[in-house]
Amino acid sequence: MDELRRTYHDDLSQAKDELVRLAAVVTESIPRATAVLLDGDLEGADYIIRGDDEIDARALDLEEHCYQILALQAPVATDLRQVVALTKMVAEVERSADLLCNICKAARRIYGHELDPKLRGIIARMGEQAQQLYDAAIESFVENDAAKAAAVDDMDSYLDGLQKQFVQAIFESHAAGRIDLQVAVQLAVVARFYERIGDHAVNIGERVRFVVTGWLPEHKGAARFKYRTDVTGEIPRIPAASLPDAADGHD
Amino acid sequence: MTEQGVTSVTDQGPTIRIDEPRAGDAPSETTAVDGHVVFDVRDLSVYYGPFRAVRDANLHIRQHEITAFIGPSGCGKTTVLRCFNRMNDFIETARVEGTINYHGVDLYDPQVNSTEVRRRIGMVFQKPNPFPKSIYDNVAYGPRLAGMKKKAELDDVVEKSLRGAALWDEVKDRLKNSGLGLSGGQQQRLCIARAIAVDPEVILMDEPCSALDPIATARIEDLMQEIKSKFTIVIVTHNMQQAARVSDRTAFFTTEVNPESDRRTGVLVEYDLTKKIFSNPGDERTEQYVTGRFG
Repeated sequence: MDELRRTYHDDLSQAKDELVRLAAVVTESIPRATAVLLDGDLEGADYIIRGDDEIDARALDLEEHCYQILALQAPVATDLRQVVALTKMVAEVERSADLLCNICKAARRIYGHELDPKLRGIIARMGEQAQQLYDAAIESFVENDAAKAAAVDDMDSYLDGLQKQFVQAIFESHAAGRIDLQVAVQLAVVARFYERIGDHAVNIGERVRFVVTGWLPEHKGAARFKYRTDVTGEIPRIPAASLPDAADGHD
Repeated sequence: MTEQGVTSVTDQGPTIRIDEPRAGDAPSETTAVDGHVVFDVRDLSVYYGPFRAVRDANLHIRQHEITAFIGPSGCGKTTVLRCFNRMNDFIETARVEGTINYHGVDLYDPQVNSTEVRRRIGMVFQKPNPFPKSIYDNVAYGPRLAGMKKKAELDDVVEKSLRGAALWDEVKDRLKNSGLGLSGGQQQRLCIARAIAVDPEVILMDEPCSALDPIATARIEDLMQEIKSKFTIVIVTHNMQQAARVSDRTAFFTTEVNPESDRRTGVLVEYDLTKKIFSNPGDERTEQYVTGRFG
């Protein structure tokens, strides 16, 4: 079978590789950010925060690269889904890097405050779990593995559980007078950041499933909505879009 | 069409009257729910002498839709298109197996008058081919052949057809000029006007834009959208983006090589909504073709 359009497909591969590179930076930065938080490593915090500008620049380049492919190569089928997914995934990766910066900024704010072993233990586990989620999401992307991508969603519930445990532990620590309110609030926000990083990994997994199968989780909600409007007569809350009739669509 | 909902494709021998198919007549799950089936193609094979050019094609062409045939050279897409108005009759060695029902009537039934078939099912070719006559006479040619003589009637048909082909404003002051003096894009629209002047139901287009520049191509593509509410259009195109832009459904054909004879036979791989074919095709071969991984 003759391979046609090799340059274009190389171009697509490069875009995919770049996303993997950026995601790898995020994956590697998760344990670093956790160490910053646990060890009060201000230099490490500065390193991650400064590095975010580079992630932003590279993410922007990748997004523009995707627009170029769309504009110049008119991708279709799997190629089209891949480029569209890349534009979504790059936003997930870029936002995850922002959240790691936020963790580092929180570490600066609580610098010098001792955390009890229970809190430290849950922080470490949240970091590990967030990293595992990111690893799995990116692996599924590299391998075009929809089953692995779907597993990311299930893995995320463990991280969500850790977040709840952590908030409970913050209350206990605050009630026992081991941390003051300001630190408690910062820690609660940090837990939220880890949880959100996990959500971004889940979103990446969903986009991988879209690339492989064309399916998006929103299809489930859309089907429920269609059932309610068609069968039970529910009235849509959003005014209908005035889409052009197919016959007039080329004016 | 002679009467609403009734079609006749014979004018010799007993007339066959056909009611338009009803939704309940659908022979498969993909039929009729989206529109009446104009052509019901079953197990179509086309031979040139002993050589089978197309094997076992099955598909439905629906009314007021644009259906695109895509695929590599030699895949049989033009051969199948030419079966729809029996153009293959002109090739002595050509032979058709299987059935093509046009509104329920077998197009290859001996009682069917192939001239009448070609009046109902017009064709526009790759290379614009106006007659060496005036613009007016090009369009009036078909209606005159059909017996129309009154000047007022002919004037009316010529204007209506040229307007229908989005050419009237450009040529209304020079209808007596030769059709061959028009630009390539205008000539192709003249051919479309000539095709619609005899009031066909279906227009077959065999790579109608491949000899045209992008602006002339865009005009023809716009025109197709404008006229599809009146006609059913089947287009063969080498330009996949054109198929994606203009058509409602796309049929992808490819070739199979017979290892013994080394001859290639065309097969219909996938036929579905165009948006499906170009976003998430069901067959790996379609995927490879539309993404340019196979040619």
